[in-house]
Amino acid sequence: MLEVKNLSFRHKGQKKEILKEITFKANSGEITTILGPNGAGKSTLFKCITGVWKNYEGEVFVKGSQVDHLSFEKRAKFFSVVPQDHEPPFPYSVFEVVLMGRASYVGLFSSPSKRDYQKAEETLELVGLYHLKDYPYTKISGGERQLTLIARALAQEAPVIILDEPTSHLDFKNQSLILSKIKQVVKEKGLTAVITLHDPNLASLFSDKIIVIKRGQILHNGNPQEVITEEVLREVYEIGVKIVNHNGINLVFPQIKET
Amino acid sequence: MKGIKILVVLFSPLAAGWISLFLGAYEISPFLVLKILLNETLSVFEVGDLPEKAIVWDIRFPRVLTAFLVGASLSGAGVTLQALFRNPLVDPFILGISAGAAFGCAITIGFLEIFPIQLMAFFFAILAVFLACFIAKTQGEISRLPLVLSGVIVSAFFTALVSMVKFLVDPHKLQSIVYWLMGSFSLADWRTLKWIVPGILVGLIPVYLMRWRLNVLSMGEEEAKMLGINVGRERALLILFSTLAVATATSACGIIGWVGLMVPHLIRMLIGPDHKVLLPLALAGGGAFMIAADTLSRTLTSFDIPVGIITALTGAPFFIYLMKKGGKEAWGK
Repeated sequence: MLEVKNLSFRHKGQKKEILKEITFKANSGEITTILGPNGAGKSTLFKCITGVWKNYEGEVFVKGSQVDHLSFEKRAKFFSVVPQDHEPPFPYSVFEVVLMGRASYVGLFSSPSKRDYQKAEETLELVGLYHLKDYPYTKISGGERQLTLIARALAQEAPVIILDEPTSHLDFKNQSLILSKIKQVVKEKGLTAVITLHDPNLASLFSDKIIVIKRGQILHNGNPQEVITEEVLREVYEIGVKIVNHNGINLVFPQIKET
Repeated sequence: MKGIKILVVLFSPLAAGWISLFLGAYEISPFLVLKILLNETLSVFEVGDLPEKAIVWDIRFPRVLTAFLVGASLSGAGVTLQALFRNPLVDPFILGISAGAAFGCAITIGFLEIFPIQLMAFFFAILAVFLACFIAKTQGEISRLPLVLSGVIVSAFFTALVSMVKFLVDPHKLQSIVYWLMGSFSLADWRTLKWIVPGILVGLIPVYLMRWRLNVLSMGEEEAKMLGINVGRERALLILFSTLAVATATSACGIIGWVGLMVPHLIRMLIGPDHKVLLPLALAGGGAFMIAADTLSRTLTSFDIPVGIITALTGAPFFIYLMKKGGKEAWGK
């Protein structure tokens, strides 16, 4: 379980607060989605929680223990992070990338142990990528790359997993494939997942809880049925939005102005 | 297949060393070379007081060992720095080691002949890297790009100083400075080995032990931090130790270019980028390559060509070949 209390942040020497008094809880076994327009502070919030930015006010707890001000070695035992798609400088194999998730368990002057190799293989199996084990990470598809990074985060065995726009570079099929995989693993392992998404439809389909932020403040916080409404989305994105209910599923689409 | 490749690279220094011992101005049979080595190390055979014994054991063998250690240092440091800077085109001299060492050598030959050249070259090489790190440090952290930039600045500064010394000294001394800067093993003997072995081992052993972390560090600063790596500390350690090895190597035999750039490339193409395997093979391959280059440098003509010329002559065409053949792939993408 992740708890963020009164987190405020501004860049050094600047007056403008990027985050204002952010307070929320994310439960284990659930996906908590942060929704908001570009520049709302989603990425900044993640950078504060994971310790990339240090000079914030407020507190962060994981399972009751306070984790802000821990070193990165210790933090890695609480958080694993799935970055947005990226290209590594060298063409490591899928397995070598996943094994990097064990870095916090490997001593400064040693190499991964048998157990680390086992863990990496297990997580590869779990996300269904074992057959690509020896492929160069640079030569697989975007969806497979995202799954590799998720496997790497899982190999880290941290209770909280943070995913920054896990679907942003993916096609229609891979978006739902990746999110279903995340949902399944989170339930199975009782992890606390915090993710950012751009698509309110995906958010309402896959999230247990949605937190809407705008201009660094939390506007709404609740389950998808409460949060994904025409009023809220209009308020956040400042465009007309229509919601249609079909067999109990809410579908969101923007109202396009005829010109 | 991969296993065979690994074995070939690992044993290449032995083969290169053996060949190097029986080639030269004075021809010695390959078997006599083995006999002499066994005699000197294990006292199995009694070969008597042959002149070959002195040539193999006192002249060629220490030179081969020195070449191996220097090649291994340059190549190992090349692999390390390429991973840290996330760029396959970085070489071990990027932080100003070569320019610093050159200045140490030039000023010693030119004006301070009471000091040993090697000591001064070593001192200024370390000083150059230290300066580069100091300049790059902003808000208590050293990041990648500022470090590359400050390496360029420090190199330019020391290179200018070297030019100034060259301009001021008398032509005889100028000649020895130029010769030293081209890099050569002609002065390597058992005494040289005695002081480079500790410096190089103290540098390379920690780098060897930390080699797997190079995988993680090469993913980028923020990602490595998220994976639980103390990036600042580990990068500093790796730079410190590889600098120690390269500075020791450079102070022993002058500036030998291309090896630290070329060998890591070759081995990476052969075996893949995983540093757990790449680093040990780069050490072996660098050593073997340097032995081969030095053997060429002393057998091609009747006198010793500086080995730095040989490595540059083989390095440039090699890279042209890589560029034409592999395109983007060869550069690690």
